[in-house]
Amino acid sequence: MGETPSNKSADQPLDSLLQSAGLWRASSIDCHVKTNCSSGFSQLDQELPGSGWPSDGITEILHDQSGIGEFRLLGPALARLSQSQNRWLHLVSPPYIPYPPALLQAGIDLTRIIVSQPKTLKDYLWVLEKSLSSQSCSAVIAWPAKIHNKQIRRLQLASKEGNCWGILFRSEKMSADSSPAELRIRLRPAARIKDSSAVSLKILKRRGKWESDDINIEFSDQLQRPMPGFNEMIVRDLGESSMVHGSLRDEEENFYPGPTTPDPAYEYQ
Amino acid sequence: MKKKIFTLAPLPLTRPMNTNNGIWLCLHFSQLPIEVFDRHQQEKPVVIISRQRVVYMNVSAQKLGITPGSSMNTAYTISEQVVSFERDEEKELATLSQLAQWAYQFSPNVSIKVPHSILLDITGCLKLFRGIKNLKATISEGLNRLGFTAATGINGTPMSALCFAESGAEKASIEIIHSDRVADSLHPIPIQFLRIDDHIQNTLHQMGISRCQQLFELPIDGLNRRFGIFFTDYLQRLTGEKPDPQKFVADKPRFRSDVTFLSDVTNTQSLVFPMKRLLGELQDFLIGRQLLVNQFRFKLSHRNHSPKEFTIFLANPDNDAQMFLILSQLQLDKVGGMPEIDNVSLAAGIFFEAEADSGDLFHGTQFKQKDGRTHSKAEEARAVRLINMMTARLGPQACFGLSLANDHRPEFAWKPVTMATKDCWHDDQPSGNARPLYLLPTPKFLSPDVPYLSGKLELLQGPERIDFGWWDNKGIARDYYIAQHHSGALYWIYQHLHDRSWYLHGIFS
Repeated sequence: MGETPSNKSADQPLDSLLQSAGLWRASSIDCHVKTNCSSGFSQLDQELPGSGWPSDGITEILHDQSGIGEFRLLGPALARLSQSQNRWLHLVSPPYIPYPPALLQAGIDLTRIIVSQPKTLKDYLWVLEKSLSSQSCSAVIAWPAKIHNKQIRRLQLASKEGNCWGILFRSEKMSADSSPAELRIRLRPAARIKDSSAVSLKILKRRGKWESDDINIEFSDQLQRPMPGFNEMIVRDLGESSMVHGSLRDEEENFYPGPTTPDPAYEYQ
Repeated sequence: MKKKIFTLAPLPLTRPMNTNNGIWLCLHFSQLPIEVFDRHQQEKPVVIISRQRVVYMNVSAQKLGITPGSSMNTAYTISEQVVSFERDEEKELATLSQLAQWAYQFSPNVSIKVPHSILLDITGCLKLFRGIKNLKATISEGLNRLGFTAATGINGTPMSALCFAESGAEKASIEIIHSDRVADSLHPIPIQFLRIDDHIQNTLHQMGISRCQQLFELPIDGLNRRFGIFFTDYLQRLTGEKPDPQKFVADKPRFRSDVTFLSDVTNTQSLVFPMKRLLGELQDFLIGRQLLVNQFRFKLSHRNHSPKEFTIFLANPDNDAQMFLILSQLQLDKVGGMPEIDNVSLAAGIFFEAEADSGDLFHGTQFKQKDGRTHSKAEEARAVRLINMMTARLGPQACFGLSLANDHRPEFAWKPVTMATKDCWHDDQPSGNARPLYLLPTPKFLSPDVPYLSGKLELLQGPERIDFGWWDNKGIARDYYIAQHHSGALYWIYQHLHDRSWYLHGIFS
């Protein structure tokens, strides 16, 4: 239906108000100032402020289950960062080996990656802060088991100083607590739709807008496409009780004995 | 048949006289026994003792009236402030050898003359340093910065230069470059500065000979008969009648320097200033020899405690003292358990040739290169700096890069690479099969018969058979599958071909 003339005239004062320089809308903060890095997923870009991953600040990715695509979500952006910039992608104490053949398949330039394994929590936070503020990293990725808000706040400032994107993978439990991180995203496994794998994503905190609805992000990786001629094996359902080898999550922290408990007495330098 | 015998005609014995054309500069460090402990001589009186007697003292001790040969008790009676060190000849020699390394920046031919002198053949480098005067000024300025004092002697033969330096005939030496006049120039030198045996010197004194002029007037045959061949040989080398080949120090670079504290240091933070000085010396050494260094070692010691050492590793060879200091401070913070320190030393032994660095024509303007990146020196320097800081704080093993490796076994298809070597391997034909972003360091056993991990695993893709490495005892025979957990997570699992049991090896995170 066409708009009535009366509606149009009612809009005009609002339009002229929006044109005035003194008024700003929350949704337009940051969007035009910075050239953000596209996430590679159009649905996600629409929701992110500045239509892409931020180039600095701390981004929290909250998830409980490993293997739902939490790292693949970053893949296109990390690939672009590694190829366009002469700076490091720094992985701090990854829980498993970040597998180079897979990183290469994701298009990430391996020569731009550094991995560090600080032994104490003090060193761990030192490494995070130093590399975020050093201006020589394009992204710093960490998997802190526990980290205080005060510490995240410092990392947030450091990442602004070094123009570096900080990514923290944290447990979904933290979604209830507040955090100084600029962008918070919750990931959950998505229902299987097609051949490719997918993840269900919800932006909990972002600049200029309220939290988003659940978005299904589909990876065009064909991981879930059954191979032609592959006879799926019949797998007996053993049930939860009969045979439990311990959940994977329990052992995760033992692969790289990194810092697990925060040290409240930690003072930066 | 008579065999023809060829005999080589003896070569005419021509005496190589070219040594006479040389110009030699000798640096004599008369204060070396003190300066090995107390460079940049300060206000405090310092004496060096040997067998309970003062043998050397600095200017302020001299002013107080302490004389060589006085006992320690006398010295302490004169002033309570006196600091004493036992004479350390080994350290003197080490310092002298370091000074010879330092002098290498002026001439490639440097020779050590024990106990306290070094000789430089400056024949070929006068043009570079624009004359003897300039060269002398440059050398004395450099020594001043290092905190050493030296007397200079210049003459046409090595031994005469040594004589000049040791006798302090510095002023006379500037004009004499002409080789024929070496003997004349030595005339006023007293004979005790000649390097001859004591008993010969005594005999000469008894004969009434006190200056070289008188000695040179005597017939050489008579001297030969009376004092032996070694003495006349020395005289001939001294005046340039005979060639005097020198043994030059090997040009293999080494660096070692230290600072001794006259009073004990208890706070490690106050070591920063002496460390800065040592690193500045290292930088001067590196620039002088056109070298870079990628590791160096500090040693903190005290006469009553066992010494502590720490090494600083760099990602790239460098010669920037300022960065060295930042890295050293990071390490210094971690060194504990030294209640007192009286000496800090710095050593480096592995060096790299410095590449000529062309300046930046466009003053840091960034241009996009063919590979789509922008390169700038400042950015590269920052990237290296971060690695250096992390290796200094976390240790050399805790920070690495990633590379593919030439192997089909998933656990060996990658390797960590250190930032110093960067021995990356590139695959020309990367595998098209999906690989997980997380790999478990050791595969996790799932179950003996069916894929199961706290719930059933549904196999989605596979099998991809990897049967490889039977020849090196680490062989594997596996069928890899992509499996989905009931929670939705994707795993990379395999079935062992021999015992049919299942393992988890990766996570498609």
